[in-house]
Amino acid sequence: MTRKTLIVPCSGIGKTYGTVAREGAHIVTEDLCPESTRLVPLALVVLGDKEVREALGASPAIAIDGCKLACAAKVVAESGGTVARALQVLDVYRRNRHLKPAGIAELNEAGHELAYILAEEVSDLADRVAAEEENA
Amino acid sequence: MPELPKRKVGLVSCSGEEMAEGTVTRLATLKVLESLRPDATVTICLPLFLAGGEGDRAFARFYPTLAIDGCEKRCAARGTEIYSAKPASSIVVNELCPEAAGQLGTARRLNTAGVDAVNAVAAEIAGQVDRLLGVPWDRTRAEEGRASAATNEKPAATCSCGSGVPVRVLEIDGCEVEVLALPPILEMFRQAAKPPTDETAAEIFETVRLYNRVPGGAEASWKLALGRAYASYSAEGR
Repeated sequence: MTRKTLIVPCSGIGKTYGTVAREGAHIVTEDLCPESTRLVPLALVVLGDKEVREALGASPAIAIDGCKLACAAKVVAESGGTVARALQVLDVYRRNRHLKPAGIAELNEAGHELAYILAEEVSDLADRVAAEEENA
Repeated sequence: MPELPKRKVGLVSCSGEEMAEGTVTRLATLKVLESLRPDATVTICLPLFLAGGEGDRAFARFYPTLAIDGCEKRCAARGTEIYSAKPASSIVVNELCPEAAGQLGTARRLNTAGVDAVNAVAAEIAGQVDRLLGVPWDRTRAEEGRASAATNEKPAATCSCGSGVPVRVLEIDGCEVEVLALPPILEMFRQAAKPPTDETAAEIFETVRLYNRVPGGAEASWKLALGRAYASYSAEGR
């Protein structure tokens, strides 16, 4: 594996789904796929950080957004990155309606479970993106 | 008398996902928003300055802002200034809690020192909010200074996915322009029983320009559009 897939969660501070996005990204990059993914802070993308821009230019990104405004996907694209996949936490919740997340500073148990399911979906997508990269 | 949105302090947190200090900024900001100063603060997600509309980019022109950053890169402060307006003040966790640098836990799990830092940063934010609300604020210059026309409260969400900045779109010189604070301003004039005249349009324009950047040479077009908007608005209330 030469290039890590970049995981870019929204930094949503006003909604529970933003926290789920953030937690899911941590699970992917620290627990499920630490060798093949890398967390990229959206604030650094917004600021046009040189190293982050170079990474975005070299590796595909998976954006995880907490609301329909899709800040992560939009900002990555506007910064010259390639959004290989874009996920909305709300879509993951719709597929798992028994897991109603609550809390922003601290997620409830359902929120943690939803974050884990989100992370598993992102991991699968990261594998596919990596495979597409190798076959390209 | 109708009310313009209350003067609150906008909190912009870096939320840096990569480091514990970023988590400290996020949790401290949430503590202020939810517990310490819920009626005096609003927030916006930093990336919305780029991804959002004019209402989002005008956030720091509308509210005096306090940037809360985890590290010396100061993404929140710099991003706010670049994409909206210069923050009134800023806090950097590493500077406020230098003795705890690198010992706050992880971005995912803060330790006891991290929780202490959250409380310290939250207290600092609350103190700065009080200070900012105790001084006059000039929205047109986004600096502390002379008093503004802002007054009392209109509902404002704590998150800027509805930042509370009311906006109405007008067609000015053939372009659609989002005019900040126009809805409560029109209501203010209507409740004052102002007639829809050129003189009233000029008065509305002077109020509107406190919250909006009017391009040089476009004053007449803005007055005309505002006059039309007010005539229509006042007719609706009859």
